[in-house]
Amino acid sequence: MTVLEVRNLQKSFGSIKAVQDISFSVHAGEVFTIIGPNGAGKTTTLEMIEGLVSPDNGVIHFGELDWNKHAVSIKKKIGVQPQSSAMFDLLTPEENLNLFASFYDHARPTEEILEIVNLTEHRKNHVKKLSGGQRQRLAIGLALISDPEIIFLDEPTTGLDPQARRNIWDIILHLKELGKTTILTTHYMEEAEKLSDRVCIVDQGNVITLDSPSALIEKLTDEREIRLSFLDGEKAAEDADGFSKELASVSKTEREGAALKIWASKPEETLLDLFKFTKDKSYGVEQVSIREMSLEDVFIAFTGKEWRD
Amino acid sequence: MNTLHQFKMMFLAQLKLTLREKQAWFWGIFFPVILMVIFMVIFSGNSDEEFKTEVAIVEPSPNPASEMMLSQISELPVIEVKSGKPVTRKKAEEWVKDQEVDAAIILPESAEASSVLLVVNKENEQGAAAQAVSGILDKFVQQANLLAAGASPKYDLQYESITSGTNELDYTDFLLTGMIALSIAQGGMFGMVDLVEMRRKGLIKRLRMTPANMGIFGLSDMVMRLLFSIVQIILLSLIGVLVFGANLYINTFTLIIVFLIGALSFNALGYFFSSFSKTTEAYMGVANICSFLMMFLSGVFFPIETMPEWIQPISAVLPLTYFADGLRESMVYETGIATASLWAGIAVMVIWGAVTFLLGSVLYKRKTIAADR
Repeated sequence: MTVLEVRNLQKSFGSIKAVQDISFSVHAGEVFTIIGPNGAGKTTTLEMIEGLVSPDNGVIHFGELDWNKHAVSIKKKIGVQPQSSAMFDLLTPEENLNLFASFYDHARPTEEILEIVNLTEHRKNHVKKLSGGQRQRLAIGLALISDPEIIFLDEPTTGLDPQARRNIWDIILHLKELGKTTILTTHYMEEAEKLSDRVCIVDQGNVITLDSPSALIEKLTDEREIRLSFLDGEKAAEDADGFSKELASVSKTEREGAALKIWASKPEETLLDLFKFTKDKSYGVEQVSIREMSLEDVFIAFTGKEWRD
Repeated sequence: MNTLHQFKMMFLAQLKLTLREKQAWFWGIFFPVILMVIFMVIFSGNSDEEFKTEVAIVEPSPNPASEMMLSQISELPVIEVKSGKPVTRKKAEEWVKDQEVDAAIILPESAEASSVLLVVNKENEQGAAAQAVSGILDKFVQQANLLAAGASPKYDLQYESITSGTNELDYTDFLLTGMIALSIAQGGMFGMVDLVEMRRKGLIKRLRMTPANMGIFGLSDMVMRLLFSIVQIILLSLIGVLVFGANLYINTFTLIIVFLIGALSFNALGYFFSSFSKTTEAYMGVANICSFLMMFLSGVFFPIETMPEWIQPISAVLPLTYFADGLRESMVYETGIATASLWAGIAVMVIWGAVTFLLGSVLYKRKTIAADR
């Protein structure tokens, strides 16, 4: 079931076309991730969907609802954690949640939210004194207070340490168990790969590609990267390099000293051939690995840009 | 949606935010109190005591007329005779020169020679003490003349202090009402820095993502500010009355009107500042300049009439001038609401409030689209 449909969104700020043409639809219960380099139009797209910025063109439908006619109904249906994680610094998490709860007819009990975002311990501290991760969890908590069907999380883990980031991943996975729909943006490929049901890559205001992480990787290429390093130094690596270039499944090689990288479409077969060769020559192999392609490779392949964390 | 519940929660949040903001306490409560105490101590240290002047009396040759005058002068409460008895003319002139006394009174030499001579220091000729002594003596001599002519005075001037109209007011009362006006004005002009901070942090945007009624939010903020100002009025008045002996004769209705209009228009001024200030520093800069200008040009510490004439037209357009005046009318003179000059002042404040509020709203609207990009 489609809970959100976005068609042909466009938005310009002066002469800058922030969003050129973005369309996608989000299904109930999935984690839908939008990734893209800085300035790709992610935040503008989200802000249009959240009703903060009105699009120059295009359609946004929450089921039957749209912003022009049903603004209040939509606001009750969605929960937003904006990038700035804005809240009242001189109030406690509990007071922040209670205040936000008063904006809705049917809010969830504050204790429940504190439990979900693991802030029960810090409920009475001023927000000012919370750590970055705790603040971010409270921001997510504020997004959840209305028990929304659709949750928007705009870079919820940016700037957090690995432990805090993992805590937030747990929250997102928990939300999925509860059957919520989550729309996520992130800077971290690992995160997108781990959490998302589907990933939408955005660049220069356009959707570049959209699919599940594994499908995206498969779509990209069936090649894998094999890494070998030789105990017998450069000479061995050079020979092995020459040998592997003759193999049919190998598309490319790269050698650096005694280390060799081979890209092959049938990595298992190639390895077998390689080991036969090294055994004949009696070269000692120190390390062997096959690297899986990651979402990062997909991103680089599609946008032609290095990923910056 | 339960509007009342929302208002209650928002108001409670505002209350907590204000109570927990140390800056608010310092600038809103502590600073005006200190400022008022300093000014009162410096400028009205003697205001509790009655006016008193010290004179020397010279009685060249005692005679019935001079004896009578001497005894009567000695009884005047405002005049103190130095060393308690007549001295020589030389000595008296020396005292006047050295400014040890404000004046020397030389009594008539005989019952027939009916002139009383008043010797004052040239430097102090226009001073309050010399003027006062001269005035008192003048009346004294007139009375003596009447007596000498065998007539009993038909008209008799009696002094009574009343607090209405053009009556001269005590500096304590003047400063107290000025300080109250200033602190409420500053509360409005500085207080809206919260708005800049909320916008900068994205809190306003955040609230707009919820079904929260922003009108109620603004209202709860306003009610909180008014309450804070009422605390300021009460606190400053208590200190003024209890510590410095200010006399307040309050017309409650006029006070409420003046207070509401004044507080609202200075809040509107702060709202206007916040609409074009991107950072809190920028806001504080603007607010500081305006508050400083008004502090000295609006008759808070000193009456406007004491300032150079070319400055007075500036004072005449500043809202704080009318706010301070309005508070004086309602808190010291007990002026009723139906006074033309009061309404003229209220009109000036309303114009300031309305214009700045509208300008601020326009600027806010224009910026919403490009906000925070």
